[in-house]
Amino acid sequence: MLILPAIDLIDGQCVRLYQGDYSKKSVYSSDPLAVAQSFAAAGCPGIHIVDLDAAKKGSPVNSALVIAIAQSVNVPVQIGGGIRDLATVARYLNNGVARVIIGTAACEDSEFVRQAIERFGAERIVISVDIKNGAISTRGWLQNSALSIDAMIDRLKAAAVRLVIVTDVSKDGTLSGANFSITSQFVAAGFQTITAGGVTNCADIIELKKCGAFGAIIGRGIYEGTITVADAVAAAANTSNLLKRIIPCLDVKAGRVVKGTHFTQLRDAGDAVELARLYSDCGADELIFLDITATEQRRAALQQLVRAVAGQINIPFTVGGGINSLQSIYELLDAGADKVSLGTIAVDRPEFVREASRQFGAQCIVISLDAKRHLDSWQLYTHGGKQSTTADAVAHARLMLEYGAGELLVNSLDRDGAKQGFDIELLQAVCNAVSIPVIASSGAGSAGDFLKVFSQTNVDAALGATIFHYNEVSIQAVKTLLTDNGIKVRC
Amino acid sequence: MIAIIDYRAGNIGSIQGALANLGVANFVTADPAKILAADGVIFPGQGRAGSAMTALQSSGLAGIIPKITRPFLGICLGLQLLTQATEEDSTAGLGIFSGHCRKFPQLNKVPHMGWNAVNFNSTCPLFSGISDNSYFYFVHSYYCDQSAQSTVTATTNYGFPFIAALRAENFQAVQFHPEKSGKQGLRLLENFAALC
Repeated sequence: MLILPAIDLIDGQCVRLYQGDYSKKSVYSSDPLAVAQSFAAAGCPGIHIVDLDAAKKGSPVNSALVIAIAQSVNVPVQIGGGIRDLATVARYLNNGVARVIIGTAACEDSEFVRQAIERFGAERIVISVDIKNGAISTRGWLQNSALSIDAMIDRLKAAAVRLVIVTDVSKDGTLSGANFSITSQFVAAGFQTITAGGVTNCADIIELKKCGAFGAIIGRGIYEGTITVADAVAAAANTSNLLKRIIPCLDVKAGRVVKGTHFTQLRDAGDAVELARLYSDCGADELIFLDITATEQRRAALQQLVRAVAGQINIPFTVGGGINSLQSIYELLDAGADKVSLGTIAVDRPEFVREASRQFGAQCIVISLDAKRHLDSWQLYTHGGKQSTTADAVAHARLMLEYGAGELLVNSLDRDGAKQGFDIELLQAVCNAVSIPVIASSGAGSAGDFLKVFSQTNVDAALGATIFHYNEVSIQAVKTLLTDNGIKVRC
Repeated sequence: MIAIIDYRAGNIGSIQGALANLGVANFVTADPAKILAADGVIFPGQGRAGSAMTALQSSGLAGIIPKITRPFLGICLGLQLLTQATEEDSTAGLGIFSGHCRKFPQLNKVPHMGWNAVNFNSTCPLFSGISDNSYFYFVHSYYCDQSAQSTVTATTNYGFPFIAALRAENFQAVQFHPEKSGKQGLRLLENFAALC
């Protein structure tokens, strides 16, 4: 989506009007050329200029300045205001201006619009549709024409218009958010739609992008500092530097690690704390401790382990196993766990997930689900995969999102321990069903399996147990392969 | 001595562990007198804004925090509760920083969870020795949408840039978890301890 910062000109100065009212203007700069250059330097993909004097008069007033700006910046410039004949269009387009905007004239003379498009191309002629109280407004917004929006859309289509700017005049300069429904209306009608008026912050940019807008014009928001050009451009591009995570999983029993005993460098192979520190030093992004045999009596041991681990490593870790009360979650978090993993209890008592999420926040509630392929879908299992249920695993994932889960740990009983790769289809089905992070589990047998799961699904993290415990593949080797293939991980 | 504020919602064990590793003396307390007398204060964060603010109010800490004159570090929810308000549970904040916290739009996955790059746009002593674009661990669903430009000390991109750190006089706050962010996180805590 194009981010187009706006420069409105009156008497050669850069101004903003409030709701199109010429008597409510603020002067922002007496040097519009410098303003344009600063926008270009901030990385905007174009600049939107309106000659407000011309819009009022009906013929260009500040055209020399506009052409000077267009010739001095290295991004496309579009100009609107007082463009009502082909000679004016030609003068701008032949002198470095990328696109001209026709507003008033489109209402009064659609033959002119058709000719302009025929001669200069639909990609260089933008029709500005100013809307005030549900009707088309013209001539510097001072007059309301009688044309309805639907009638305008029909007229634009008949004239082979491709690009439109829709401005909700009641929003313009108000910093109250853009008019998304009018944007959607023009997008649905098939126009490349640029929205103006009220665009205030990054959330507006994202919303406009969702509406399918072709561009967003930002005026007062930039001058008043509610958004910067660079931030708007970043929002439009949806840039994120969030990394994929590699998570070793340690099975513990009464506070000691029961798997992962093949590290020769360990003095005490079952020492969970030392193993955690080793993984942390080797580049693990996070750790998961699962006490598969946890019972009420062993809670104290688990808590002690968590406290010891928290004192030694400073990467996040999740603890799971036997959690069945808000008090047990509190104890684990208090001891230093960052998240808790809930499995069987989330199937038996989904309401507990809601309570836990409400009490401690969604970010620390991980739902671990066990799935096994059954015909075209996946059946949900409980008790560490020992008991089947009649529930669908993907439907359970969706339900858990509703109940306030912050993350899903997806285990495949078909792949568990098989070392033949993650269950790509299951993981993608879950990712498609929920909007929270998903951790892939079960099946990692090689570094290539991690590459495959990150390349072919939208999972956020992948877990390895045996593969790391027996030092078959190092975390570093996995990360090197991912980095070499363009998947961003923490080095 | 650094006081870690206990409001039964923070991940206190992790902060204590990190400070202990650095050899920084600290204690956990909810006692206003001890908090006001400490050399520095850490306001850890995890949990829900609503229940956290209720706990702060019932213990009287809500009125005490703004009076603290020693170096103060808010972490995650500890940042959000220092703004004017957050959408989470429609909670009013302590208003140390301008701006409101909003829920992340469903553009990317929410919560924003994992390691993300932090752009430091200031030469804050808190970030001394930490290179720009270092990765820190984040886990949150709400973000501070805007604040007075002079107070924003770092930003991070998650679909769009949001505020990763704020500073106003003795109050500093970070949206990420330094206590969970490996070596650079420890460095940040060390820098904070040096200010106290």
